[in-house]
Amino acid sequence: MSVLSITDARIWFGSYEALKGISVSVEQGQLVTLLGPSGCGKTTLLKAIAGFIALDAGAITIDGADMTGVPPERRNTAMCFQSYALFPHLSVYENIAFGLRQKGTAKAELESRVRASAAQVSLEAQLQKLPSQLSGGQQQRVALARALAVRPGVILFDEPLSNLDARLRDQVRFEIRQLQKAHGFTAVYVTHDQAEALAMSDLVVVMNAGAIEQAGTPHDVYYRPVNRFVADFVGTANIMPVQVIGEDPTRDVYRVNSPLGELEIQSNEAPISDRIYAMWRPEDATAADHRDGTPNVFEFNVKAQSFLGNLTDLVVSPTGSDVSYRIQILGQTEIADGTRKSFHIDSRKVRFLKERVQ
Amino acid sequence: MAASSRVNRRIWINQLLFAVLLILGAVWLLIPFALAALWSLVDVNHPWAYPAMFPPVLSFTRWTEVWNTTALPQALVNSYTLAPCVAVLALILSLPTAYAFGRLDFPGKSAMQILTLLPLVLPGFVVAIFFSSLLIKLGIYSRFAGILIGHTIMFLPYAIRILSVSFALIRQDLIDAARDMGASPLSVFRTAYLPILRPGLLAAFIIVFIMSIEEFAISYVIGAPDFTTVPTILYSYLGYNFIRPNAAVVSLILVVPNVLLMLLVERFLASSNPASITGKG
Amino acid sequence: MNSRRTVHAYLLLIPGLGLILAFTGVVIGMAVSQSFGFLNFSGESAFSTRFWQSATADPQLWRAFWYSARISVISAVLAVALAYPLALWLRKPFPGSTLIGAVLKAPLLVHGLVAAFLFINFISFQGFLNLALVKLGIIARPMRLQNDPYGIGVVFLQVWKQMPFALLILTGAVQAIGEDILNAARDLGAAGLSRFRKIIVPLTLRSLQAALILIFIGAAGDFSFQVVAGPTSINSMAQFMLRAQTSGMDGWNVAAVVAVLLMLLSLFGAMILAGATQFFARVGRA
Repeated sequence: MSVLSITDARIWFGSYEALKGISVSVEQGQLVTLLGPSGCGKTTLLKAIAGFIALDAGAITIDGADMTGVPPERRNTAMCFQSYALFPHLSVYENIAFGLRQKGTAKAELESRVRASAAQVSLEAQLQKLPSQLSGGQQQRVALARALAVRPGVILFDEPLSNLDARLRDQVRFEIRQLQKAHGFTAVYVTHDQAEALAMSDLVVVMNAGAIEQAGTPHDVYYRPVNRFVADFVGTANIMPVQVIGEDPTRDVYRVNSPLGELEIQSNEAPISDRIYAMWRPEDATAADHRDGTPNVFEFNVKAQSFLGNLTDLVVSPTGSDVSYRIQILGQTEIADGTRKSFHIDSRKVRFLKERVQ
Repeated sequence: MAASSRVNRRIWINQLLFAVLLILGAVWLLIPFALAALWSLVDVNHPWAYPAMFPPVLSFTRWTEVWNTTALPQALVNSYTLAPCVAVLALILSLPTAYAFGRLDFPGKSAMQILTLLPLVLPGFVVAIFFSSLLIKLGIYSRFAGILIGHTIMFLPYAIRILSVSFALIRQDLIDAARDMGASPLSVFRTAYLPILRPGLLAAFIIVFIMSIEEFAISYVIGAPDFTTVPTILYSYLGYNFIRPNAAVVSLILVVPNVLLMLLVERFLASSNPASITGKG
Repeated sequence: MNSRRTVHAYLLLIPGLGLILAFTGVVIGMAVSQSFGFLNFSGESAFSTRFWQSATADPQLWRAFWYSARISVISAVLAVALAYPLALWLRKPFPGSTLIGAVLKAPLLVHGLVAAFLFINFISFQGFLNLALVKLGIIARPMRLQNDPYGIGVVFLQVWKQMPFALLILTGAVQAIGEDILNAARDLGAAGLSRFRKIIVPLTLRSLQAALILIFIGAAGDFSFQVVAGPTSINSMAQFMLRAQTSGMDGWNVAAVVAVLLMLLSLFGAMILAGATQFFARVGRA
């Protein structure tokens, strides 16, 4: 049963269309991430779910009830803000208790629920402190505990980790996901960080310019992007326009002409057109010996490389072309800049996108 | 393009409130001033008496008469000579303190900053009377000097406050860069300090200037009856000698230049909020 | 080295803050001394409590005292009570909000005496208000509104002049509350009045107190509004003080007593107002 249902939502700011008919359905206990670049409408959509912005068309339903005209204070949602938005004049205890006091919860139950929420985020020792006395990570957890305490139908996260430093980000991300799975609460999470989205979500909704490009599991959006935008936004992609010149139906293999040369692509789904985009990920290329004769081996000029510790990131160009591609190999490499090296691209890893070449 | 009914209603309510306030604004600002202007234009020989709705004859004769027969020209000279002296003196005296507040950190700083505001909480007439008694005790009989000192010290908090903000805005990295490239102290001052200070200095000058022109208590107690300023002359027309048209003329002379000057200040303090610093908007 | 820097800093404070403190100290000192008979202009300087005794026995003084207290508290509370909703309304910019802000703050630019003049002009016997009411047939003859015995004219003038000042202070304070914090409160179930009591008031308390105190002190020491538009049967403290100064041999000394009383009124009145605001804010937050 879907807890949150958005149907054909549209929002205009003046003549600017911020949401262009969004439809998403969120099931009980799911963590759905709205992922996209700034200005894509993800925060607008989140605020519409919370009730801070009214839809100009379409509807939002929470637990089966239509939320049109319902202000934020009467919706069964709770939001974790990017800036934490803790009440500076209230202690951690009072911050967490705020929503419960608004509901008129009885004293004994209020106290036990506040303490339980604080325990969930390991902040029992900080209950009497003021927000200004806490670190960034602790403030984030108070914001989370405050939202958890009211037991809302949906918890909304507005880029909660962007104000934390990298180390803390990973840790808090993990904690949020653990809590979400353990308690089974439904969450809508907004971020522009694709790694975050992939790590945390049950469902990733990739948005661009007010519309949904693709909605699917992390696996789906990473390995089966539908178009260039998704391919490029989620992870790094090498995107090429290709022309299908032949196929071998028994082996599900298609032969295509690409900027790299003739290429084999193994796919159990037929490409939607003869002139189409295809993509492969940097980690899908492995160093090879050119004299091998196997298909899908190409020679590249190594233009630059960065040693990232666990990986080496190479910027390469095919011989005779200026177009750059990215290749990543594990560990260190002895390939010097400016030299040529052959790489093999696995035919099963090259994917057709569902986007025709215009 | 769709705009939901909710947005419409919000816009409508705002428009209504806007209209109400505009009407109120007209009543409590425009009409009184229009009346003052009207009164100042009443012809000397055709008084405006009840129950006439409008003055029978409008002319500038009132203005010329006030100018020629009253102490207004002298008051104007006094006020507008006093004010720049006060402003310059206040600026000079406030600079070291403003520098300390704006760029240095020292124990007791916030207490000192609060103490600077003392003149704002002293009742104006108490200061006027007992300062005048101090002047008598010290044998300082020059009224100009007395008012000058009184005004300067009373308005120091404003100058200090504005200049502190200006000093604080000066970027340390610009000072360091200038010194790093071998600039002399004068050069450092010109490149790193002056550009930021200039608007603050101008704003502080104008604010103190305006406050000196408008100040009444000290000017009245120390100045009367020989040394008139524009406010004390206005007061004389409001007290025992209530001549409405004269009062109207002096009112306009008092208000209009100050409004123009304040608009100038707003321009100079464009980045920071001048009103919150000076208490004027 | 640190102490050298501190000394250096305090040296810089001398021409500015130092002068202010010296001046303030001297003025208050003179007022207090003269109230006890020192630094006399006429006759001997000797400690005496007779000025205090005679002044405090004068019922006129106490009438003036309580009149000033009453007028200034009412003016301060009214000015702030009007400014608060306006500050909240103007918190988020909307088309026309700058214009309204400017219109509301305009009285700050108008000199007090000018305001007093405009006011009595407006309500005078042949003023705009009376004329309009007569022409509209609401009243038969003009009313005597000037110098009303309750000081309503003075209160009106104080509010007219000071409400923009309160608006300025409160607007700054209200805008300093992050939008997110108010949204978080809404999100957790707090509707309008609840948000006001629990979030806005506690977070703007200091500014509220500052506005109340400054307006109160300014109104307590008022002279001009009182003389031009106030009741003729009663004096404000400043008016009483000036009159006392020019009357009789002990004029300065009596005026000194009144001055000290006025300053005490300002001080204790401010403290009471601050305390009361704190109390009501706490009560409202529960």
